[in-house]
Amino acid sequence: MKPIVELRNASRWYGQVMGLNDVTCQIGPGITALLGQNGAGKSTMMRLITGQLRTTTGEVLVGGMQPFANPEVYKLLGYCPEIDNFYEYMTGRQFVQNLARLAGLSPERAKSRTQEVLEIVGMADRCDRKIAGYSKGMRQRIKLAQAMLHDPQIILLDEPLNGLDPVGRRDYMDLLGYLADQGKGIVVSSHILFEVEQLTRSILLLHRGRLLATGDIRVIRELIDKHPHRIRIETPDPRAFAQNLVGLPYVLSVEVTAEGLELRTREPGMFYDALPALIVDHGLRIDGLWSPDNNLESVFRYLVEA
Amino acid sequence: MPLFLYTLALRDFLRPRRIVVWILVALSLLALGLVWRSVYAGSPREDYASLSSIFVFRLIALSSAIFATAIVTQEVEQKTIVYLLTRPIPRWQLLASRMLAAATVVFGVTVLAILATSIAIYGFRFGSNPLLVNDLKAAAVGSLAYVSLFTMFTLVINRAMVVCLIYAFLWEVGIPNFSGDLFYTSIFSYLQAIAEHPALPTQQMLVSALAGQGGDAALVAGTAWPVLLILIGSLTGLAMWWFTHFEYVPREDAE
Repeated sequence: MKPIVELRNASRWYGQVMGLNDVTCQIGPGITALLGQNGAGKSTMMRLITGQLRTTTGEVLVGGMQPFANPEVYKLLGYCPEIDNFYEYMTGRQFVQNLARLAGLSPERAKSRTQEVLEIVGMADRCDRKIAGYSKGMRQRIKLAQAMLHDPQIILLDEPLNGLDPVGRRDYMDLLGYLADQGKGIVVSSHILFEVEQLTRSILLLHRGRLLATGDIRVIRELIDKHPHRIRIETPDPRAFAQNLVGLPYVLSVEVTAEGLELRTREPGMFYDALPALIVDHGLRIDGLWSPDNNLESVFRYLVEA
Repeated sequence: MPLFLYTLALRDFLRPRRIVVWILVALSLLALGLVWRSVYAGSPREDYASLSSIFVFRLIALSSAIFATAIVTQEVEQKTIVYLLTRPIPRWQLLASRMLAAATVVFGVTVLAILATSIAIYGFRFGSNPLLVNDLKAAAVGSLAYVSLFTMFTLVINRAMVVCLIYAFLWEVGIPNFSGDLFYTSIFSYLQAIAEHPALPTQQMLVSALAGQGGDAALVAGTAWPVLLILIGSLTGLAMWWFTHFEYVPREDAE
């Protein structure tokens, strides 16, 4: 599929400070997560794509065009910035409608489109109050509304899940899924990894300005199989369970804990396949089974440490 | 689009919280004029010229400094610039529309100040004030000149407000009183030439100095008009080019 955004050896320096270092990647339709710790270069990458900053070396292309101060590019992209600042004296509707006009819509179309997007983000019934009185969740929704006004091909959201309560996060993620289903490219930057994991498997992992990994989270996990995978088992008799586990060739270690036991393996798939037979054959009982490494957080940690 | 940009900026600049102070300052010249008349009691023409030079023309510079800062710097500091710069609008249009809106507000405030001063000296007989029309012309061109100069300052210099205020008060008050050719670098000198204010009595040294008549300035309107128009055109063009080619990101993000 043809990429909407393309970075070719893109670097950005702020004087002596590196913001982004030699990043090459492509972003197409669907949801892509831009992951990294604070200072990893996520916002710099967002600002390069949205044409607020220029690259120091390399290039960024959006729809085949250089984005810096390029009005044609802004017809293709919507941007939801991380900052929480607005024209506080405006109502949500006024804010979105003014930006609709600035997006080039006629007064009538701006009015109707404003109503449409406010309904999509669930703000239609609350948008006539001053923004100054909005909660964090309402502000995030208004920011998303203004980003999708002109039906862009790609929407970039910088830390959109910050400050949202669990219900708000779920609603917001559903909304992003809906937009992705419409064929939009959605780029979400975040350091809240477990939330991103629920959103997409396509990631770009940044660390200290460098692109550390890119692609499907499952493929990346396969690349890190040299790292032991931890599995925690809740059982009333951890010592008996441990006795049966230590003989398995793919189990590296077993540690008895207060709730049960924790084992480390390089072959989690083989372990999971063998576990039912083990339980039945030895009359073991388990109350719970989970892995602290079975999430994006662990992938991130492994890759960063590597 | 430029018209919408202009009206959007104008609505922002004319918000009550922002504009009420300026209206009060402009109207206060009515009271100040009445006091002035009772203290100095010169000819109406001289009194009006003194008040206009000392207060009204300074108000053009001061309000220009404040509103020019709101064109870009305020958006950068409030971090709302990102909403403007990621719209499909050429940056030069964005800047030019906001500059024009700022100049319009400065001109409006100055017109109020001119009318208040005229009423204080001549009552409501505006036709009796021989300097009124020239002052309005000077206010119009002065608003554009100061706004374009101060906008350029705000684009190039961090914390430009201080520089704008220093220029508005120290430079513009001091330079026209120096001997030599330095007065050519003062917009105020050109505005005085356009306004054709009469020379004030030499015995009122302080008033004369405050009115910028202490130096060797010998400009005439025929020179002042083209110089200011060229200045406005070149500064506006330069500002538009600068704004299009350089980065403007929310203040604390700029490293």
